[in-house]
Amino acid sequence: MPSTLHPLTSLTAAGCTAVITTAAGLWPLSVAVALAAALLAVGAGVGRRVLAAAVAVLVPLGLSLLMLHGLFFPEGRTVLAAWGPARVTAEGLSFALEAGTRTGACVLVLLLFSFTVSAPDLVAALAARGLPPQVGFVLASALTLLPAMTGRLAAIRAAQEARGLVVGRGLLSRLAAVRLQAVPLVLGLVEDAGVRAQALEARSFGTPGPRTSYRQLQDSPGQRVFRAAAVLLTAAAVALRLITAWPVAP
Amino acid sequence: MSLQSLLLPATGAGSAAGKTKAQRNRRLLELGGAAAIVATYLFLVLTQPADIASGPASFAALVALGGFLLGAVLLIAAALPTLPTPTLVLMPVALVLNVVLGQLMGATGLPFYVDAIGTVLIAVLAGPAAGAATGALSTIVWSFFNPTVLPFAAGAALIGFLAGLAARGGLFRRFYLAPVAGFVTGILAGVVSAPIAAFVFGGTAGLGTGAVVSAFRAMGDTLLAAITKQALISDPMDKAIVFAIAALLVYALPRRTTFQFAFVRTFRVLAGMSPATPESQPQTQPESQPESQPETQPEA
Repeated sequence: MPSTLHPLTSLTAAGCTAVITTAAGLWPLSVAVALAAALLAVGAGVGRRVLAAAVAVLVPLGLSLLMLHGLFFPEGRTVLAAWGPARVTAEGLSFALEAGTRTGACVLVLLLFSFTVSAPDLVAALAARGLPPQVGFVLASALTLLPAMTGRLAAIRAAQEARGLVVGRGLLSRLAAVRLQAVPLVLGLVEDAGVRAQALEARSFGTPGPRTSYRQLQDSPGQRVFRAAAVLLTAAAVALRLITAWPVAP
Repeated sequence: MSLQSLLLPATGAGSAAGKTKAQRNRRLLELGGAAAIVATYLFLVLTQPADIASGPASFAALVALGGFLLGAVLLIAAALPTLPTPTLVLMPVALVLNVVLGQLMGATGLPFYVDAIGTVLIAVLAGPAAGAATGALSTIVWSFFNPTVLPFAAGAALIGFLAGLAARGGLFRRFYLAPVAGFVTGILAGVVSAPIAAFVFGGTAGLGTGAVVSAFRAMGDTLLAAITKQALISDPMDKAIVFAIAALLVYALPRRTTFQFAFVRTFRVLAGMSPATPESQPQTQPESQPESQPETQPEA
């Protein structure tokens, strides 16, 4: 379900939350932010997609952090258990917890934003703020091309299987199958891009000058105030963290 | 704005002066982006020993995020307006190839990423500026599905830039030189990306790479040193593979397509290929053996 907020408002909210969580560096706050983002995602009806994407990112990262810092943390002093070179230390576990929850909070907040925002609205809002129209084209085109590409890959696989492609168990057979599918895919996409370039060029895509947008976005004074306040708050949090933690030269 | 100026390139003294001013601004943006990335890297490497063992690393995380993202955004702003339409239209294709192939490799658990094939492809066809912009933008698009890649935008831009330089220097004319260029690119990109993994995430995103880092930590290295060493093991191999795959894909493209790109024509990026004219030799190369193409044809 697309959000009813102005896309810049949700972008500001997500970005500022992620930065403030990073600046604070407190694991209870990170956990609270992650839970809030998950609840908001469920409320917005995208809970399943956000959580699936977050799990795919965070589970390998979390396990990797746990293995890395939980077992090997040479700076750790409080040893809880030791097997040969591996030592479980309290400092290592708390570092893993700190880093893992911080990343988890940021990932959930940003995924909540990207799964609720409407890409064309976001591009229109950014273009109205002076983003070059080329960036808008590339972003919007890539986001719409991704789903189309999976369909195309399925069609290519079906065509190659009709010609006798059988994917065996061996590595060589699998690599051959990848080659048979990747080369037609890339050739077709590049060919399409050439045709699209000619069509766009014929419509003066490359020439400079003002552009008119078909999209009208609703923005309210309240949201404008909220954005300004969020940016100021974030700047203050970052400044506070930079001042308190500025490394003193040894 | 009159209709004429929308359709015809403006000429005259005024527009020439504006052009040089715009060029100078772009040069400043490029320099600023590169300076931001270099300064952030140096700052993090020089101050890290005091930071990692004592308490939360959120200070270093903020510096790494801010500096590298600023650099990537400045590089995009500098490169994008100069790109011609065929290159711009190819960029989304490269982004999609990066994302899809990168996700596939990330799921296998191997300590390789193979997430830059599209970026290298664009860099070979359209040059260093296009490669850098593609690398950074592709990271931004991918972050819609996986926000953890966002801080690596500067590293991705560096890979695209270096791939473009390699193509301009003729390293893609011979198939065996492409992996060598990829190896060198991987060393630089790995070293630049290591502080992000160390300070923003406190480790690497995959279990395969995490195991390599653990081994170095067990020997008593600092986190940054361990991740840099892991990057020096994984990244050069990874980028050598990526450059080789991108070279094979470029050789498999028909000449009609590759010669649409002025960069390929000007710098003779692909050996033994002359622009396709009706009088030129008939195309008898079988598409099933694309890698033999640059070896068998004489250099033009």
